[in-house]
Amino acid sequence: MLDRMIEIVDQKEEQAKKTAMFSTEKRSDQWSMLLVSVAETRDRRAFTQLFNHFAPLLKSFAQASRHEGWFPGLSEDLVQEVMIKVWQKSASYNPEKASATTWIYTVARNCRIDMLRRKSNTQHLPLDNEDFWHEADEDTPVTLMRQKRSEDKVQTSLAKLPKEQDEILRKVYLEGKSHAEASNELGLPLGTVKSRVRLALQKMQILVAPEFRDDVL
Amino acid sequence: MSKVNHHPDSAMLVDFSAGNLNTAPSICVSAHLHFCAKCRSELLRLDQVGSKLMSEAEPIEVGDLLLDSVMAKIDQLPESAEDIVPSTSEMSDVHYPLLVNKLITASESTPTWRRMSASVDVAQFTTGQKEYEVALHKICSGGKTPRHDHGGREFTVVLKGSFSDEQAVYNEGDFLQREAGDVHQPMGAQNGECICLSALAAPIKLSNPFGFLMKPWLRINPM
Repeated sequence: MLDRMIEIVDQKEEQAKKTAMFSTEKRSDQWSMLLVSVAETRDRRAFTQLFNHFAPLLKSFAQASRHEGWFPGLSEDLVQEVMIKVWQKSASYNPEKASATTWIYTVARNCRIDMLRRKSNTQHLPLDNEDFWHEADEDTPVTLMRQKRSEDKVQTSLAKLPKEQDEILRKVYLEGKSHAEASNELGLPLGTVKSRVRLALQKMQILVAPEFRDDVL
Repeated sequence: MSKVNHHPDSAMLVDFSAGNLNTAPSICVSAHLHFCAKCRSELLRLDQVGSKLMSEAEPIEVGDLLLDSVMAKIDQLPESAEDIVPSTSEMSDVHYPLLVNKLITASESTPTWRRMSASVDVAQFTTGQKEYEVALHKICSGGKTPRHDHGGREFTVVLKGSFSDEQAVYNEGDFLQREAGDVHQPMGAQNGECICLSALAAPIKLSNPFGFLMKPWLRINPM
């Protein structure tokens, strides 16, 4: 029995070494580590810490929404739904691919769409919202390293964006306005809104080599 | 897999990443992502923007009881969800995006091929929304479709084979957007049938009794 346990520990260590060798870029921030322990050991203390950090951010995200049919009373429902999903889906979190914050953002975005769909007339859709984001990427060390670098780049350059670019990104991501709606609201031509977003994305180096794109402004 | 050359524009990917894109165009973007590694990696980076904006927002305190309520709910969850074995149909294909196969096999939709013209078959999906008609089109090998224009905006993703029009050849995974009024004449490739997923904006129905007066200036733009 003891031998067997030692063997398991050894195997785990071996595995950990391998992982460390091949992915020096593994997320080691506090939240990502907590999320991994929720996934691996169903650790409720770790989950509580995640809740205490993310619930107020999620509530703020929910209250920023200006989607048709959305009202502030739904905010805590969204927080609750997201945190339950985080518990349920934690096993699918891959710390090499994304930080816990990014992963939880995608869960929140998807829950928000689900709640809006349930409230609107989009019933009888034989798809779950997650099906739309199902297509996994190749998790090669190179792509994973690129993602990690990009995360750092997004973080530093987002803070330096000119106000008019930052404003539109917030409208799109937080308020939930499409480009067309943002252009109506700001009284700007759609082309201007698109090009501001595009400039911002270029600064954050989000777009892959522009020569691949056939869309021209 | 052949190289994907035609992509949704970056504004569309941003709207998709932010969760602001309507259901039908989202189905097409998602189908394109299945074939396109480049757009998948752009999408992951776009999600980082949303995540950053969320994490920098001013936190708002939640009610005292919310944590207890979440804990109580997770106590009642079944520990692991059962794996659902996907059903298959003659129309589905292992190379298709998962969500297309799901639409094909879902009991709510169960589409069937109907002949549209000598060289084109169409199978319509039920997608629970009225803004767009979502369907599969099959162009037979070498089939010529009649020259036509579009009543509304249309998104197309090639799922299998290839077709061409006056401008280019479109292969598996290619994403096309056509605006109302665009005229084109797609032709199936000689070496096999071509299957496409498409979402076509439904024509505007005017309820105003004087609606017909507005018609010439209306441009359909349901996005």
